[in-house]
Amino acid sequence: MATQGGIVFQEKVSRLLRGQNGKPVLKPNRALVLKDAVANRKPKKGEASCITEMSVLMACWKQNNFVDSLCSNEINSFYMCVEKAQADAKNKAGQSNIQGGRLPPKQATGLLKRYPNLCKEI
Amino acid sequence: MAASISGLLKPWTPRVFLVRWSRYNPYYLEPEVSKEAYSRPETELSAEEKEQRELKALRPIKAATSGVTSSVFDDPVISKFINMMMKHGNKVLAREIMTQTLENIKKKQVEKYHKASEGEREVIECNPYTIFHQALENCKPVVGLASIQKGGKYYQVPIPLTDNRRRFLAMKWMITECQDNKHRRTHMYEKLSQELLAAFGKEGNVIKKKYELHKMAEANRAYAHYRWW
Repeated sequence: MATQGGIVFQEKVSRLLRGQNGKPVLKPNRALVLKDAVANRKPKKGEASCITEMSVLMACWKQNNFVDSLCSNEINSFYMCVEKAQADAKNKAGQSNIQGGRLPPKQATGLLKRYPNLCKEI
Repeated sequence: MAASISGLLKPWTPRVFLVRWSRYNPYYLEPEVSKEAYSRPETELSAEEKEQRELKALRPIKAATSGVTSSVFDDPVISKFINMMMKHGNKVLAREIMTQTLENIKKKQVEKYHKASEGEREVIECNPYTIFHQALENCKPVVGLASIQKGGKYYQVPIPLTDNRRRFLAMKWMITECQDNKHRRTHMYEKLSQELLAAFGKEGNVIKKKYELHKMAEANRAYAHYRWW
Protein backbone atom coordinates (compact mmCIF):
# COMPACT_ATOMS: atom_id res chain seq x y z
CA MET A 1 0.00 0.00 0.00
CA ALA A 2 2.79 2.35 0.87
CA THR A 3 4.75 1.43 -2.28
CA GLN A 4 1.67 2.04 -4.49
CA GLY A 5 1.13 5.44 -2.92
CA GLY A 6 4.93 5.93 -3.24
CA ILE A 7 4.94 5.32 -6.99
CA VAL A 8 2.07 7.76 -7.60
CA PHE A 9 3.84 10.34 -5.40
CA GLN A 10 7.14 9.90 -7.29
CA GLU A 11 5.31 10.43 -10.60
CA LYS A 12 3.76 13.63 -9.27
CA VAL A 13 7.15 14.92 -8.11
CA SER A 14 8.83 14.14 -11.42
CA ARG A 15 5.99 15.94 -13.29
CA LEU A 16 6.54 19.00 -11.09
CA LEU A 17 10.25 18.93 -11.78
CA ARG A 18 9.93 18.42 -15.56
CA GLY A 19 7.05 20.86 -15.71
CA GLN A 20 4.25 21.29 -18.20
CA ASN A 21 5.22 22.74 -21.61
CA GLY A 22 8.91 22.53 -20.76
CA LYS A 23 8.71 24.95 -17.78
CA PRO A 24 9.41 23.18 -14.47
CA VAL A 25 7.27 24.21 -11.51
CA LEU A 26 9.88 23.34 -8.88
CA LYS A 27 13.56 24.24 -9.07
CA PRO A 28 14.96 22.74 -5.88
CA ASN A 29 18.48 23.76 -4.87
CA ARG A 30 18.63 20.89 -2.33
CA ALA A 31 17.62 17.23 -2.63
CA LEU A 32 13.93 16.60 -1.93
CA VAL A 33 14.66 14.35 1.06
CA LEU A 34 13.26 14.56 4.61
CA LYS A 35 15.81 15.31 7.37
CA ASP A 36 16.24 13.08 10.41
CA ALA A 37 15.75 16.02 12.78
CA VAL A 38 13.06 18.50 13.79
CA ALA A 39 13.64 22.25 14.31
CA ASN A 40 13.95 23.32 17.95
CA ARG A 41 11.29 25.41 19.62
CA LYS A 42 12.25 28.62 21.42
CA PRO A 43 11.99 27.88 25.15
CA LYS A 44 9.39 30.08 26.82
CA LYS A 45 10.99 32.80 28.91
CA GLY A 46 9.65 32.46 32.45
CA GLU A 47 9.81 35.12 35.14
CA ALA A 48 12.23 35.36 38.02
CA SER A 49 11.15 33.31 41.03
CA CYS A 50 11.45 34.29 44.71
CA ILE A 51 11.88 38.02 44.07
CA THR A 52 9.72 39.06 47.02
CA GLU A 53 11.68 36.81 49.36
CA MET A 54 14.94 38.18 48.03
CA SER A 55 13.82 41.79 48.42
CA VAL A 56 12.67 41.10 52.01
CA LEU A 57 16.05 39.51 52.73
CA MET A 58 17.92 42.46 51.26
CA ALA A 59 15.84 44.95 53.24
CA CYS A 60 16.69 43.02 56.39
CA TRP A 61 20.38 43.09 55.44
CA LYS A 62 20.27 46.84 54.87
CA GLN A 63 18.71 47.37 58.29
CA ASN A 64 21.09 45.11 60.18
CA ASN A 65 24.28 46.05 58.32
CA PHE A 66 24.56 42.61 56.63
CA VAL A 67 24.84 40.58 59.83
CA ASP A 68 23.43 37.15 58.98
CA SER A 69 22.50 35.96 62.46
CA LEU A 70 19.86 38.70 62.85
CA CYS A 71 18.23 37.84 59.48
CA SER A 72 18.03 34.05 59.95
CA ASN A 73 14.21 33.96 59.50
CA GLU A 74 14.36 35.75 56.17
CA ILE A 75 17.24 33.56 55.02
CA ASN A 76 15.30 30.38 55.87
CA SER A 77 12.19 31.56 54.07
CA PHE A 78 14.33 32.47 51.03
CA TYR A 79 15.85 28.98 50.96
CA MET A 80 12.43 27.35 51.24
CA CYS A 81 11.10 29.52 48.40
CA VAL A 82 14.09 28.54 46.24
CA GLU A 83 13.56 24.84 46.94
CA LYS A 84 9.88 25.08 46.08
CA ALA A 85 10.65 26.95 42.84
CA GLN A 86 13.15 24.27 41.82
CA ALA A 87 10.67 21.48 42.56
CA ASP A 88 7.98 23.33 40.57
CA ALA A 89 10.32 23.75 37.60
CA LYS A 90 11.12 20.02 37.66
CA ASN A 91 7.44 19.03 37.78
CA LYS A 92 6.55 21.46 35.01
CA ALA A 93 9.23 20.05 32.72
CA GLY A 94 7.71 16.57 33.16
CA GLN A 95 4.10 17.68 32.57
CA SER A 96 4.49 19.91 29.52
CA ASN A 97 5.77 16.91 27.52
CA ILE A 98 2.38 15.15 27.52
CA GLN A 99 0.09 18.11 26.77
CA GLY A 100 -0.36 19.62 23.31
CA GLY A 101 -0.75 16.32 21.45
CA ARG A 102 2.72 16.70 19.96
CA LEU A 103 6.10 15.39 20.97
CA PRO A 104 8.63 17.98 22.17
CA PRO A 105 11.36 18.62 19.55
CA LYS A 106 14.15 16.79 21.41
CA GLN A 107 12.16 13.58 21.73
CA ALA A 108 10.97 13.79 18.11
CA THR A 109 14.59 14.18 16.91
CA GLY A 110 15.69 11.21 19.02
CA LEU A 111 12.95 9.02 17.58
CA LEU A 112 13.75 10.08 13.99
CA LYS A 113 17.45 9.37 14.51
CA ARG A 114 16.64 5.89 15.67
CA TYR A 115 14.46 5.21 12.61
CA PRO A 116 16.13 7.33 9.97
CA ASN A 117 15.02 8.12 6.44
CA LEU A 118 16.68 5.55 4.13
CA CYS A 119 18.15 7.27 1.06
CA LYS A 120 20.26 4.42 -0.32
CA GLU A 121 19.76 0.69 -0.60
CA ILE A 122 23.14 -0.26 0.85
CA MET B 1 66.62 -18.60 33.68
CA ALA B 2 64.73 -20.53 31.02
CA ALA B 3 61.46 -19.90 32.87
CA SER B 4 62.00 -16.10 32.91
CA ILE B 5 62.81 -15.98 29.18
CA SER B 6 59.70 -18.00 28.33
CA GLY B 7 57.77 -15.66 30.68
CA LEU B 8 58.90 -12.68 28.63
CA LEU B 9 57.62 -14.30 25.41
CA LYS B 10 54.02 -14.40 26.67
CA PRO B 11 51.83 -11.36 25.90
CA TRP B 12 51.91 -9.15 28.96
CA THR B 13 48.65 -7.95 30.55
CA PRO B 14 48.64 -5.84 33.74
CA ARG B 15 47.30 -7.51 36.87
CA VAL B 16 45.39 -4.43 38.00
CA PHE B 17 43.17 -2.42 35.66
CA LEU B 18 42.23 1.23 36.34
CA VAL B 19 38.48 1.08 36.26
CA ARG B 20 37.12 4.01 38.20
CA TRP B 21 38.16 6.84 35.89
CA SER B 22 37.02 5.13 32.71
CA ARG B 23 33.52 6.00 31.64
CA TYR B 24 30.96 3.67 33.13
CA ASN B 25 27.80 2.58 31.32
CA PRO B 26 24.95 4.64 32.82
CA TYR B 27 23.37 1.31 33.77
CA TYR B 28 25.83 1.02 36.68
CA LEU B 29 24.72 2.36 40.08
CA GLU B 30 26.71 4.32 42.65
CA PRO B 31 28.09 2.32 45.60
CA GLU B 32 26.71 2.81 49.12
CA VAL B 33 29.68 3.10 51.46
CA SER B 34 28.23 3.90 54.89
CA LYS B 35 27.60 0.97 57.22
CA GLU B 36 24.51 2.59 58.77
CA ALA B 37 22.62 2.23 55.50
CA TYR B 38 22.90 -1.56 55.71
CA SER B 39 22.38 -2.00 59.44
CA ARG B 40 18.77 -0.68 59.31
CA PRO B 41 16.21 -3.53 59.66
CA GLU B 42 13.63 -4.33 56.97
CA THR B 43 10.70 -2.84 58.88
CA GLU B 44 12.20 0.67 59.05
CA LEU B 45 12.49 1.10 55.31
CA SER B 46 9.80 2.78 53.23
CA ALA B 47 8.49 1.24 49.97
CA GLU B 48 10.86 3.32 47.82
CA GLU B 49 13.88 2.30 49.83
CA LYS B 50 12.91 -1.36 49.60
CA GLU B 51 12.66 -1.01 45.84
CA GLN B 52 16.06 0.66 45.78
CA ARG B 53 17.56 -2.23 47.74
CA GLU B 54 16.10 -4.81 45.38
CA LEU B 55 17.37 -2.87 42.41
CA LYS B 56 20.86 -2.75 43.92
CA ALA B 57 20.80 -6.53 44.33
CA LEU B 58 20.29 -7.01 40.58
CA ARG B 59 22.14 -4.15 38.89
CA PRO B 60 25.92 -3.88 38.48
CA ILE B 61 27.60 -1.31 40.76
CA LYS B 62 30.57 0.97 40.11
CA ALA B 63 33.83 0.46 41.99
CA ALA B 64 34.21 2.76 45.00
CA THR B 65 36.86 5.48 44.71
CA SER B 66 39.87 5.22 46.98
CA GLY B 67 38.87 8.51 48.62
CA VAL B 68 35.80 7.08 50.41
CA THR B 69 35.89 4.68 53.37
CA SER B 70 33.23 3.00 55.46
CA SER B 71 34.90 4.08 58.71
CA VAL B 72 33.26 6.43 61.21
CA PHE B 73 35.88 9.08 60.49
CA ASP B 74 34.95 9.43 56.83
CA ASP B 75 33.57 12.92 56.18
CA PRO B 76 32.46 13.83 52.62
CA VAL B 77 32.90 17.57 53.27
CA ILE B 78 36.48 17.14 54.48
CA SER B 79 37.24 14.78 51.57
CA LYS B 80 35.97 17.41 49.16
CA PHE B 81 38.10 20.07 50.84
CA ILE B 82 41.19 17.86 50.62
CA ASN B 83 40.53 17.22 46.92
CA MET B 84 40.22 20.94 46.29
CA MET B 85 43.49 21.63 48.09
CA MET B 86 45.30 18.90 46.16
CA LYS B 87 47.78 20.00 43.50
CA HIS B 88 49.20 17.79 40.70
CA GLY B 89 47.52 14.74 42.21
CA ASN B 90 49.53 14.92 45.45
CA LYS B 91 46.77 13.62 47.72
CA VAL B 92 49.24 12.55 50.41
CA LEU B 93 50.44 16.13 50.88
CA ALA B 94 46.91 17.55 50.86
CA ARG B 95 45.79 15.05 53.51
CA GLU B 96 48.86 15.82 55.61
CA ILE B 97 48.05 19.52 55.50
CA MET B 98 44.44 18.81 56.51
CA THR B 99 45.39 16.62 59.48
CA GLN B 100 48.00 19.14 60.60
CA THR B 101 45.39 21.91 60.33
CA LEU B 102 42.90 20.01 62.49
CA GLU B 103 45.62 19.18 65.01
CA ASN B 104 46.68 22.82 65.12
CA ILE B 105 43.10 23.97 65.69
CA LYS B 106 42.73 21.48 68.52
CA LYS B 107 45.99 22.60 70.11
CA LYS B 108 45.01 26.26 70.02
CA GLN B 109 41.57 25.60 71.41
CA VAL B 110 42.86 23.37 74.23
CA GLU B 111 45.40 26.05 75.13
CA LYS B 112 42.63 28.62 75.26
CA TYR B 113 40.52 26.23 77.32
CA HIS B 114 43.17 25.74 79.95
CA LYS B 115 43.94 29.44 80.21
CA ALA B 116 40.28 30.44 80.50
CA SER B 117 38.37 30.84 83.74
CA GLU B 118 35.63 28.41 84.88
CA GLY B 119 32.74 30.42 83.41
CA GLU B 120 34.27 30.76 79.94
CA ARG B 121 35.32 27.11 79.64
CA GLU B 122 31.89 25.84 78.60
CA VAL B 123 31.71 28.19 75.65
CA ILE B 124 35.04 27.17 74.10
CA GLU B 125 34.62 24.57 71.34
CA CYS B 126 37.46 22.06 71.18
CA ASN B 127 36.31 19.63 68.49
CA PRO B 128 38.17 20.64 65.28
CA TYR B 129 35.56 18.99 63.05
CA THR B 130 32.70 21.07 64.44
CA ILE B 131 34.88 24.17 64.13
CA PHE B 132 35.61 23.31 60.49
CA HIS B 133 31.96 22.73 59.64
CA GLN B 134 30.76 25.81 61.45
CA ALA B 135 33.45 27.99 59.84
CA LEU B 136 32.46 26.70 56.39
CA GLU B 137 28.80 27.39 57.15
CA ASN B 138 29.68 30.94 58.14
CA CYS B 139 31.56 31.45 54.87
CA LYS B 140 28.78 30.26 52.56
CA PRO B 141 27.14 33.09 50.59
CA VAL B 142 23.33 33.24 50.45
CA VAL B 143 22.91 34.83 47.00
CA GLY B 144 25.35 35.00 44.12
CA LEU B 145 25.78 37.21 41.09
CA ALA B 146 25.34 36.10 37.48
CA SER B 147 26.41 38.03 34.37
CA ILE B 148 23.25 38.37 32.24
CA GLN B 149 23.11 40.11 28.88
CA LYS B 150 20.22 42.48 28.21
CA GLY B 151 20.06 45.01 25.43
CA GLY B 152 23.72 44.72 24.50
CA LYS B 153 25.00 45.32 28.03
CA TYR B 154 25.99 42.84 30.71
CA TYR B 155 24.48 43.27 34.17
CA GLN B 156 25.42 41.59 37.45
CA VAL B 157 22.13 40.04 38.54
CA PRO B 158 21.56 38.58 42.05
CA ILE B 159 20.51 34.93 41.80
CA PRO B 160 19.78 32.15 44.33
CA LEU B 161 22.55 29.54 44.50
CA THR B 162 22.34 25.77 44.91
CA ASP B 163 23.80 24.15 48.03
CA ASN B 164 26.64 22.57 46.11
CA ARG B 165 27.60 25.92 44.56
CA ARG B 166 27.58 27.66 47.93
CA ARG B 167 29.75 24.98 49.52
CA PHE B 168 32.14 25.13 46.57
CA LEU B 169 32.43 28.92 46.80
CA ALA B 170 33.11 28.81 50.54
CA MET B 171 35.85 26.19 50.13
CA LYS B 172 37.37 27.96 47.11
CA TRP B 173 37.54 31.30 48.91
CA MET B 174 39.11 29.71 51.95
CA ILE B 175 41.78 27.90 49.94
CA THR B 176 42.70 30.85 47.68
CA GLU B 177 42.81 33.19 50.66
CA CYS B 178 45.20 30.90 52.49
CA GLN B 179 47.35 30.33 49.44
CA ASP B 180 47.69 33.99 48.41
CA ASN B 181 47.62 36.18 51.50
CA LYS B 182 50.26 34.61 53.65
CA HIS B 183 53.85 35.28 54.54
CA ARG B 184 56.19 33.03 52.60
CA ARG B 185 57.53 31.53 55.84
CA THR B 186 54.14 30.53 57.33
CA HIS B 187 53.01 27.01 56.58
CA MET B 188 49.71 26.32 54.86
CA TYR B 189 48.28 24.47 57.85
CA GLU B 190 49.15 27.37 60.15
CA LYS B 191 47.43 29.92 57.93
CA LEU B 192 44.45 27.60 57.36
CA SER B 193 43.94 27.08 61.08
CA GLN B 194 44.09 30.84 61.66
CA GLU B 195 41.51 31.48 58.93
CA LEU B 196 39.21 28.69 60.08
CA LEU B 197 39.23 29.93 63.66
CA ALA B 198 38.58 33.48 62.45
CA ALA B 199 35.68 32.28 60.28
CA PHE B 200 34.32 30.36 63.26
CA GLY B 201 34.25 33.69 65.11
CA LYS B 202 32.72 35.44 62.06
CA GLU B 203 35.74 37.58 61.32
CA GLY B 204 38.62 37.39 58.85
CA ASN B 205 39.12 37.91 55.13
CA VAL B 206 36.85 35.13 53.87
CA ILE B 207 33.87 36.44 55.83
CA LYS B 208 34.71 39.91 54.51
CA LYS B 209 34.61 38.52 50.96
CA LYS B 210 31.20 36.99 51.62
CA TYR B 211 29.90 40.30 52.94
CA GLU B 212 31.21 42.12 49.89
CA LEU B 213 29.34 39.71 47.64
CA HIS B 214 26.18 40.30 49.66
CA LYS B 215 26.65 44.07 49.40
CA MET B 216 27.10 43.86 45.62
CA ALA B 217 23.94 41.75 45.35
CA GLU B 218 22.04 44.25 47.49
CA ALA B 219 23.31 47.15 45.36
CA ASN B 220 22.16 45.39 42.17
CA ARG B 221 18.79 44.28 43.50
CA ALA B 222 17.01 46.39 40.86
CA TYR B 223 18.25 44.01 38.15
CA ALA B 224 16.74 40.96 39.82
CA HIS B 225 13.94 40.90 37.21
CA TYR B 226 16.44 40.19 34.44
CA ARG B 227 16.43 36.59 35.56
CA TRP B 228 14.11 34.24 33.69
CA TRP B 229 14.28 31.15 35.82
